[in-house]
Amino acid sequence: MPRLTLTGLTKAYGKLTVVDRVDLTLEEGEFVSLLGPSGCGKTTTLRMVAGFVDPTGGTIAVDGSVLSAPGAVVPPERRGMSMIFQSYAIWPNMTVEQNVAFGLELRKLPREEVKRRVGEILEVVQLNKLAHRYPAELSGGQQQRVALARAIVVKPSVLLLDEPLSNLDANLREEMRFEIRRLHDEFRITTVYVTHDQAEAMATSDRIAVMNAGRIEQVDAPHLLYTRPRTRFVAGFVGRTNLLEARVEGGDLLLDGVNLGPAARAGIAHGVTGAVLVSLRPQAMAILAEEPPANDGLLLRATIAERTYLGEAWDYVLKPEGTALTLRAAAPPLEAHDVGAHVWLRIDPRQVAVVE
Amino acid sequence: MFLIDRRQMLALAAWSAAATKAFAQAPMNPQEAQLYEAAKREGEITWYTGQYSADASEAAGRAFNERYPGVRCNVVRSTSQVAFQRLSQDFRAGVGQCDVFSSTNGGHYVQLKRQNRLVKFRPVNADGLLPILRQADPDDFFQSSFLGIYLMGHNTRLVSEAEAPKSWTDILDPKWKDKLAVGHPGFSGAIGLWALQMRTMFGPDYLRRLERNKPQVGRSSIDPVTMMNAGERSVGVAVPSASTLFAMSRGNPLKLIYPTEGVIAALSPSAIPTNAPHPNAAKLFQEFQTGPALSAAVRLLFNESIRPDVPPPEGARPLDQVTMLAPTMEQADRGVPEVREQWREIFGV
Amino acid sequence: MSDAALPAAAVRPARFRLLEPVMLLWVALIAALLVLVAAPLIKMLLISFEMQDTGEFTFENYLTAYGRQRYIDALRNSLLLGALSAAISTVIAVPMAWAVSRTDMPGKGFTWAMVLAAFIMPPYLGAIGWILLAGPNSGWINVTWRALTGATDPLVNVYTFTGMAFVIALHSFPLVFIFVKSALDLISSEMEDAANILGGGTWTTMRRVTLPLVWPSILGGFILIFLETIALFGTPAIIGIPARINVVTTQLWQFFEDPVRVEVAAAYAIPLLLITVAMIGVQKLMLSRKGFVSQTGKGGERRQVKLGPWRWVLFGWCLLVGLLAVIKPLTVLLQASFAKAWGRGFSFDNLTLRNYRFLLFEHDVAPQATWNTVWFSAASATMAIVLALLVAYIVIRKLMRFADVLGFIAMAPFVIPGIVMAIGFYAAYAGPPLSLYGSALLIILAFTARFLPIAYANSQAAIRAVHPEMEEAARILGSGRLHAIRRITAPLLKTSLLGGWLVVFIVASRELSAAIFLVGPRTRTMSVLLYDLSEQGNFEVVSAFGGILLFITMVIVGIGMKLVGRDFMLRRE
Repeated sequence: MPRLTLTGLTKAYGKLTVVDRVDLTLEEGEFVSLLGPSGCGKTTTLRMVAGFVDPTGGTIAVDGSVLSAPGAVVPPERRGMSMIFQSYAIWPNMTVEQNVAFGLELRKLPREEVKRRVGEILEVVQLNKLAHRYPAELSGGQQQRVALARAIVVKPSVLLLDEPLSNLDANLREEMRFEIRRLHDEFRITTVYVTHDQAEAMATSDRIAVMNAGRIEQVDAPHLLYTRPRTRFVAGFVGRTNLLEARVEGGDLLLDGVNLGPAARAGIAHGVTGAVLVSLRPQAMAILAEEPPANDGLLLRATIAERTYLGEAWDYVLKPEGTALTLRAAAPPLEAHDVGAHVWLRIDPRQVAVVE
Repeated sequence: MFLIDRRQMLALAAWSAAATKAFAQAPMNPQEAQLYEAAKREGEITWYTGQYSADASEAAGRAFNERYPGVRCNVVRSTSQVAFQRLSQDFRAGVGQCDVFSSTNGGHYVQLKRQNRLVKFRPVNADGLLPILRQADPDDFFQSSFLGIYLMGHNTRLVSEAEAPKSWTDILDPKWKDKLAVGHPGFSGAIGLWALQMRTMFGPDYLRRLERNKPQVGRSSIDPVTMMNAGERSVGVAVPSASTLFAMSRGNPLKLIYPTEGVIAALSPSAIPTNAPHPNAAKLFQEFQTGPALSAAVRLLFNESIRPDVPPPEGARPLDQVTMLAPTMEQADRGVPEVREQWREIFGV
Repeated sequence: MSDAALPAAAVRPARFRLLEPVMLLWVALIAALLVLVAAPLIKMLLISFEMQDTGEFTFENYLTAYGRQRYIDALRNSLLLGALSAAISTVIAVPMAWAVSRTDMPGKGFTWAMVLAAFIMPPYLGAIGWILLAGPNSGWINVTWRALTGATDPLVNVYTFTGMAFVIALHSFPLVFIFVKSALDLISSEMEDAANILGGGTWTTMRRVTLPLVWPSILGGFILIFLETIALFGTPAIIGIPARINVVTTQLWQFFEDPVRVEVAAAYAIPLLLITVAMIGVQKLMLSRKGFVSQTGKGGERRQVKLGPWRWVLFGWCLLVGLLAVIKPLTVLLQASFAKAWGRGFSFDNLTLRNYRFLLFEHDVAPQATWNTVWFSAASATMAIVLALLVAYIVIRKLMRFADVLGFIAMAPFVIPGIVMAIGFYAAYAGPPLSLYGSALLIILAFTARFLPIAYANSQAAIRAVHPEMEEAARILGSGRLHAIRRITAPLLKTSLLGGWLVVFIVASRELSAAIFLVGPRTRTMSVLLYDLSEQGNFEVVSAFGGILLFITMVIVGIGMKLVGRDFMLRRE
């Protein structure tokens, strides 16, 4: 039985629908991110799961028992979940220890048990030396760890995280990303993680649900999301891409009249035919100064129109000859080409994906 | 009992209005006229008073303003102790503000006179006062301006006339527990005199026994009248006859009690302090107070007239039919502070 | 010498810098603060050790002041009264503040209006109203209670210790409300959400998270009401004397009786200051290292707590408080003010305008007192705001070393009981050499000092809101600092300063405790006259005069709402 099931979950404020028939299922111990731009409905979805927002329609079930259906909503305090907030929401008037013990005390555990479990979890998040400090005496990262400890120590049925790293600086954010994943690997708590940062989602999640305008566009493992985006939005939001018009004829993908051959067939959804849109990642192309000896038909002649050096790679804008297309392609730092140079562009057909 | 019907009442009122006007416009004696001229240059006079009630004091001020256009009277009405406190503060601060000082506590004058803080002045009008008031001070440092009668009253709805206390000692009976109201000698000069008189007549235990009946303690002597009006308490102790009669005229179910031993009569003078900023206006005011215009103005609010040529107020028992009790000024000077302190020890406030 | 090489005007020698006009202003400000705040307190401390008349050093005054059981009882009564009133206020106000700030309780507008009304109603008027309501025999509540139940004992008795504390609390609770509500407004809902999701229900969350977060505000409100109560004169005089409860203020009043013993009064008042200092110390200790809402700073998103049927219970509470603090006392006062004899209750033949007519057209002192009140209040509000603005500017822009000291002095009267300030002023300025006793200036100065903290807090908030770069932009274009303040900063501050001015005006117009010791015959204010009238037994006239005072206040509040915004009085600055 899945741990958490959202079925047709909807939230509307008057005529404005902010979450639109969301279906999502999490297996026990799974870590799923809700990824999307601001205003896509991901935080509202999370808050409906937590019970802070009453859904307009649909149901939320944990371990098969319905927590929320229109007209019958279990309040947050009886859902057995826990949550980490954007602002951490650790209580400044309580010590680290008191913050972490709060949930355990509400569960009426014996004092000894509370003490033991708080001690253990503080050990895990490396705060055991700071147990008697007040939050104002901690750094941002330490506060974040307190929030984590407080949420995990109660062994929640589902752990919810609402953009937990957005208030940290870049280095700390990267560190905490791994920390969150490490804690997940250690405790295997079913987790829903809301973020607008794809790198964060990719580093932490088992699966990512990409949301746009209140709907889930695609749910997949991070690498599949990248290589096989199913919608135009996902292709554009997760990494950068070139969207090109193409045709599917007899099961083959034809790009600008060139048949990409059997290697590209994996990227075509079954039964699609006619004019389609494909996503071609900048990393799926190689730029060659000389025409390679074996022309396998996936080569295009192109001119370098612009270039930007990004440190880790070159970002080229190319104009293939004889077309009105503009393509972006990435190349390693040593592969420098001048603007105006004529080059050859080789496309890897396995990385071409048809999108809706 | 005043069996005056409506028509008689109207006639009386008409008489009063006409007579008051006549008294207000009565010609000035030469000294008065001379003082008026000098006072006009000073423009105003400030009167600290704790004698007449606020309404009557305001009425007196207005009567003064009407009689002497060009000289304005600032009425500073408070309880007598507070008025004296303000005057003391003035002296202490070295600021002269008060032109005429009127207190119900005669002791104040003895003290001020001893401290050489009073101006010697005898108004011509003083010769026309009631005989007992004519010579308040043989040295003329102060002149009579007020005759207050303090007695008892009861709310007729709560206590019938037959049940009502008859004498000052009746109220010590435990049956009056929680039914009495009285002013405070720390605020009211008249209550100070009353407390002193009671102690003199009935011994030092009087206040202690009164305290056992838990009287409601107000500040001024008028507070108990309010308490009777409201029905909060049924018997007012040492209430001024004027305020009680005034309350009765407004339809409140009260009745005066003339205690068998006699009423407390506060024969109170006024005086001019040496630091008075408007000395001529002050003297003019003393002429006014001893003259008929004041008595005519305040009798309308049921205060006793202090002159034989102005009739007593409606509803009050004529003064020649009552026994008047009062400590002498010298007794008051020494005794009132003492009894006040004793009161505070007994009552806690 | 490099200096010599430069044009003289380019490098201004240090001694000329000292003579900058703004520097003179600073000196003037320090002088003003010394005159207003420091000198009266120092003088009071000094004379408490002086023998009257001779001025010799002595401890005699302290022995006199504390040499009697009655005097010590008064001090104990005051402390108990302060604690009880503050406790009742807290119990009244905290649920209201929580309900208005964080829940979906209905009738929030009504609750606001009641808090505002309770705030502007002078406490002594409330006391008179409550005498009419809860006098044991004649009070309306008791009369009704007896009529309904046939009981002989009164239901409530205003002439008791708890009765007095309750009446005081009914007019003090808005301070706690304002403090706690504005702190609650700063709490992000996530703080509560975090407790909810960990298993805390609405009540547990309120009890264990929300209220503890605003603990400093609750404590601050409690202390402030404690201090206000022990400095209160009107209510103890009006209710306490008949109830036979002597407190510090009525005892101080006795020391002003003949012979005036300012030295003893000062000695008697000094321990009040020590108590204040001790309370602030305790507060510091209790808050210590903990963080609270004010420190977390940013507000964050807020979500209303859903109370279900409980929201009606809370609304009922607010309604009850409104009824007791405002509606009932106001009704009886208005009824009395239009009555020929208030004891007769409401009937058409008992209606009259006589009381108002008497005050407005026949009374000699009432119009003058009204005018005094208006102009004293206006003058002190203006002085306080101007002074506070300049001090706040210097402190916030850090224009001077030790600028914080200025701020500290400006805030000090906040914690000095008003009556202590008044005695200090009396001691320092009433007599020679200045002999200000009885002058308008003395009262205006005292009011200015007393309400300086309100003005200062207001100005501070206002100036913080103006970014220094706005001025710097003007200065780089060649405008001097004072010119920049006048042209740039002042216009930007206008609205909030007007709000502060109005608040000072309103609290000054009802001030009694400080005024009662300082007024002279020509400088009586409405509050003092009301107090004097209240012992004349004429509650009809007293009520009518109270009605006039409330009317003036309401006009001012109305103007304030129009110009500055609806809740200008209840913002915490």
